[in-house]
Amino acid sequence: MKDFLKSSVGRKYIMGLTGLVWVGFLFAHMAPNMLILFSAELYNAYTYSVTANKILLYAVEAILLSSLVIHVLMAILLTRQNRVARGAQYAVSANGEKAVSWGSRYMAAQGSAILAFIILHLITFKYGTYYETTVNGVVMRDMHRLVVEVFQSPAYVAWYFICLGLMVFHVSHGAASVFQSFGILERKLQGGIKKFAWVYAIVIVTGFLSQPVYVFLFHK
Amino acid sequence: MEKKQNINLKLKVWRQKNAQAKGEFKEYDAKEVSPDASFLEMLDAVNEDLIKSGDQPITFDHDCREGICGSCGFMINGEAHGPQKGTTVCQLHMRHFKNGEHLTIEPWRAAAMPITKDLMCDRSALDRIITSGGYVSVNTGNARDANNIPIPKPDADEAFLSAACIGCGACVASCKNASAALFTSAKISHLALLPQGQVERKQRALDMVAQMDAEGFGSCTSTGACEAACPKEISLINIAKMNREFLRASVLKKEEVGGGDMA
Amino acid sequence: MSVKLESKIPSGPIESKWENHKFDMKLVNPANKRKHSVIVVGTGLAGASAAASLGELGYRVKAFCVHESPRRAHSVAAQGGINAAKNYQNDGDSVHRLFYDTVKGGDFRAREANVHRLAEVSVNIIDQAVAQGVPLAREYGGLLANRSFGGAQVSRTFYARGQTGQQLLYGAYQSMMRQVDLGNVQLNTRREMLDLVVIDGKARGIIVRNLLTGEIESHEADAVVLATGGYANVFYLSTNAMACAVTAAWKAHKRGSYMANPCYTQIHPTCIPVHGENQSKLTLMSESLRNDGRVWVSKKKGDLRAPSEIPDSERDYYLERVYPSFGNLAPRDVASRQAKYRVDEGHGARGEQAVYLDFRDSIKRLGEDKIAERYGNLFQMYDKITGENPYKSPMRIYPAPHYTMGGLWVDYNLMSTIPGLFVAGEANFSDHGANRLGASALMQGLADGYFVLPYTIGDYIANTKLPTVAVSDDAFKHGENGVKEEIQKLMSTKGTRTVESLHKELGRIMWENCGMARNKQGLIEAITKIQNLKEEFHHNVLVPGEAVGVNTELEKAGRVSDFIELGELMCRDALTREESCGGHFREEFQMDGEAKRDDDKFCHVAAWEWTGEGKPQSRHTEELKFENVKLATRSYK
Repeated sequence: MKDFLKSSVGRKYIMGLTGLVWVGFLFAHMAPNMLILFSAELYNAYTYSVTANKILLYAVEAILLSSLVIHVLMAILLTRQNRVARGAQYAVSANGEKAVSWGSRYMAAQGSAILAFIILHLITFKYGTYYETTVNGVVMRDMHRLVVEVFQSPAYVAWYFICLGLMVFHVSHGAASVFQSFGILERKLQGGIKKFAWVYAIVIVTGFLSQPVYVFLFHK
Repeated sequence: MEKKQNINLKLKVWRQKNAQAKGEFKEYDAKEVSPDASFLEMLDAVNEDLIKSGDQPITFDHDCREGICGSCGFMINGEAHGPQKGTTVCQLHMRHFKNGEHLTIEPWRAAAMPITKDLMCDRSALDRIITSGGYVSVNTGNARDANNIPIPKPDADEAFLSAACIGCGACVASCKNASAALFTSAKISHLALLPQGQVERKQRALDMVAQMDAEGFGSCTSTGACEAACPKEISLINIAKMNREFLRASVLKKEEVGGGDMA
Repeated sequence: MSVKLESKIPSGPIESKWENHKFDMKLVNPANKRKHSVIVVGTGLAGASAAASLGELGYRVKAFCVHESPRRAHSVAAQGGINAAKNYQNDGDSVHRLFYDTVKGGDFRAREANVHRLAEVSVNIIDQAVAQGVPLAREYGGLLANRSFGGAQVSRTFYARGQTGQQLLYGAYQSMMRQVDLGNVQLNTRREMLDLVVIDGKARGIIVRNLLTGEIESHEADAVVLATGGYANVFYLSTNAMACAVTAAWKAHKRGSYMANPCYTQIHPTCIPVHGENQSKLTLMSESLRNDGRVWVSKKKGDLRAPSEIPDSERDYYLERVYPSFGNLAPRDVASRQAKYRVDEGHGARGEQAVYLDFRDSIKRLGEDKIAERYGNLFQMYDKITGENPYKSPMRIYPAPHYTMGGLWVDYNLMSTIPGLFVAGEANFSDHGANRLGASALMQGLADGYFVLPYTIGDYIANTKLPTVAVSDDAFKHGENGVKEEIQKLMSTKGTRTVESLHKELGRIMWENCGMARNKQGLIEAITKIQNLKEEFHHNVLVPGEAVGVNTELEKAGRVSDFIELGELMCRDALTREESCGGHFREEFQMDGEAKRDDDKFCHVAAWEWTGEGKPQSRHTEELKFENVKLATRSYK
């Protein structure tokens, strides 16, 4: 096991596994967010329900946090190894048929931006202003109000758009290459998986972007 | 069959006296280049002029000049083996270039493949990866009849595609991480696909991956640059197979109990 | 110091010679093998297979190659296939038939016993390769596939698309690297052998130049194997790789190893024609293409029409016309000569030095997919080089120097006239006579390395007193000094002619006078021209840079210098052999355009002995006896 973790291939498995946790989480996070399109009450009720069971919440948070930490740690290790391996840079980089996709080339940079985004995101929302509201007689946090408030700021919206834009590349490349890293890629799956990953990433990100769009349309 | 016009090019070539020296780019003119000439023949002509004018010719590795020995290879405008896909630089012909084009020519760059002179580098690390386990342990004379074990044609064909790697190093050179994953995986999958390779399958995957890391190559981040640069169009699928083989071996590898030699 | 040429062919019927000989040979016990060392120079098919097999046996092997990796040896470029008498196709093949075809294909100028052994072990080679994981082509049933090659009427050629040499080489290379891993083989890359060290009349070591540092190194051993390939680059333009040279063999020749039949050179019929002055090498289009391609020229002289505009009635499928029973699969020497005749008569494709190789009919019959599966990589290569699509219009091809049947003389044990110096693969002269059949070079290289040398070297070591030698001995110091002096001479000439231009000039002389057709007058002239060129070389060569570190021009200069000397010997050999046989075609000796042998006067091997700098070599002969194949006029009609 030690050899496995020390090898570049083993580390890729870890990267993929922890990334996959977050890829799954993104969907679980995005789908209920759609409730905002239906009603503020539903939105808040959902927020209330997921935070009600503290044990479950902490367990999920622990998995997410440890996945993130390991993912970032591995990324740092591999990136450092890769920098050393590369040595000198070329004077000219490829731009013809042999060039690589932008998404795959700058995974580390995208990852850093996304990490910053996650931290800021938590500060803004999870640890943001605590408004209260009552739905069906139950007192709960008014997440809806906070969201509407935050997305009033054009600067925040711009930042949100940029980071989610990066997320499309990061997630689509990650979701496709996890098949590669896990060794489940077969010749006949090659094209399909790439498309699937792009569709998945775009759906996720579009879902999230519905939040500021909703705010812009109905709460300006 | 109209005769095409000869072309003139401006070259910016990396010159480095030896492994220790600090290199630099120098500019040269390639004049009256026939579009039927290969890229190396164009450099030959530049070299002839350099020698005649008392300069040092540009050193580059080359041998068979038919795209199979894997000796040649350098970057042309940032692309390994130049712009044409599935082609070594010796098989790249000048008809693909335009009159007046500027070309920047650089050696492969990777810490594990240090430059030895000008455009020549030391790729012996790739040999050491093979030495670590890229073979079937069968002594001469031990073989059974060749048709003893039928091999499904699709498997044999797939194994051939992996075995077609010429070890030129373009995959490493074009990878932003200088990863040798494509090279290593091609040999691992070639032998894993064949019945003859089964006995040592697990140990081979472990040993070759370990050697690849030990040589100081980077890790694969699936950019696909290697596949695009590969003159033999070795597929990324091989890397997936290597990862699978490695995981399988890490999980299933039996402890060695030793003994057996004591009789 | 003249040596009598003893072929040491074992007695007994031809089928059991090798078997009996193997039993009669002495063995070295396993513990003693470790005490003996063998140097193997060259790591192509013959060298790598020999190094691997000797390492497996337990000898301490030191392998040397000029490349940065053994995988780059020019065996890698062999395309079409490897012959073996497996008779998997049930089409009447047998060891005897392969033996017969090879002797006949060589125009009765090879040693029967050697060829029979080659045919015998051919089957083991395929077994060995498959066991190593060489991905040879297979049928849907999972069994090995075969194709046909020239000079045979059975399908006995095994292949891996158009990359058979590559795959077989990697098999041998990987086996050798396994021995490197086990510590039995010490691999020395980027080393060029520049002298052979002979002590007490036995080969005991080599002097090499480290091509990275420029250092001159000595290496000692109990026996030396040369597997350094052929010398077709004497023609400058050939299908050989740029580094293919005669240098190692030539240095051994100068130390007493006889050079046999140097005039036997193979001009391969299907190469991509020359495109211009700056061309550096020629590219072969595998003979396997003639399985499905038809060779033709226009019946009209000076026909400038595009091939598609020439109707069938105006095409001359000359190989099918002249050789109805072998058709497009006539052997190489024959097919090349016919191409030359057509072009000389003015039928060249679009007036140029080329004939057509056409797949139109096969594509119609089998479909483009099938043709692509069989020859895809070759078609692609043709397209890359010429910019023409061979699926749409026929290939244009012309003969080019490809292989050399001549080489250092060896006895049945593959030992040269210097005891302890063994020669394997293309570097020796042994198995192909005056013409090699397609797909037989891979067979011979691997036969020598895997199945012959491991036995015969053991026999030599067991039978020979080999006192310890060290690289500090005088013989080594003397060798090193000689090499250094030669390098110094090349570096200090500082003339005006580049090595390349001198090589080109030599190539032109050789191609015009000692190429596909030779005659007395031309050969005599060529000898004078080469002697002048030698003068010019030594007084006017320009080698830039310094002797320290990488200097590719210096490497080339040494090689060209040896090619010049060899060229002269080739012409002299061709001049003396007053007959035509196989690839050696003397215009004075022909019948209906076919080679006319003179078995009364020339049924022998000519082996040339070096007699000193500036003196002509002296000629020795080894009579060839044909007891199992009747000497006959070779006919493919």
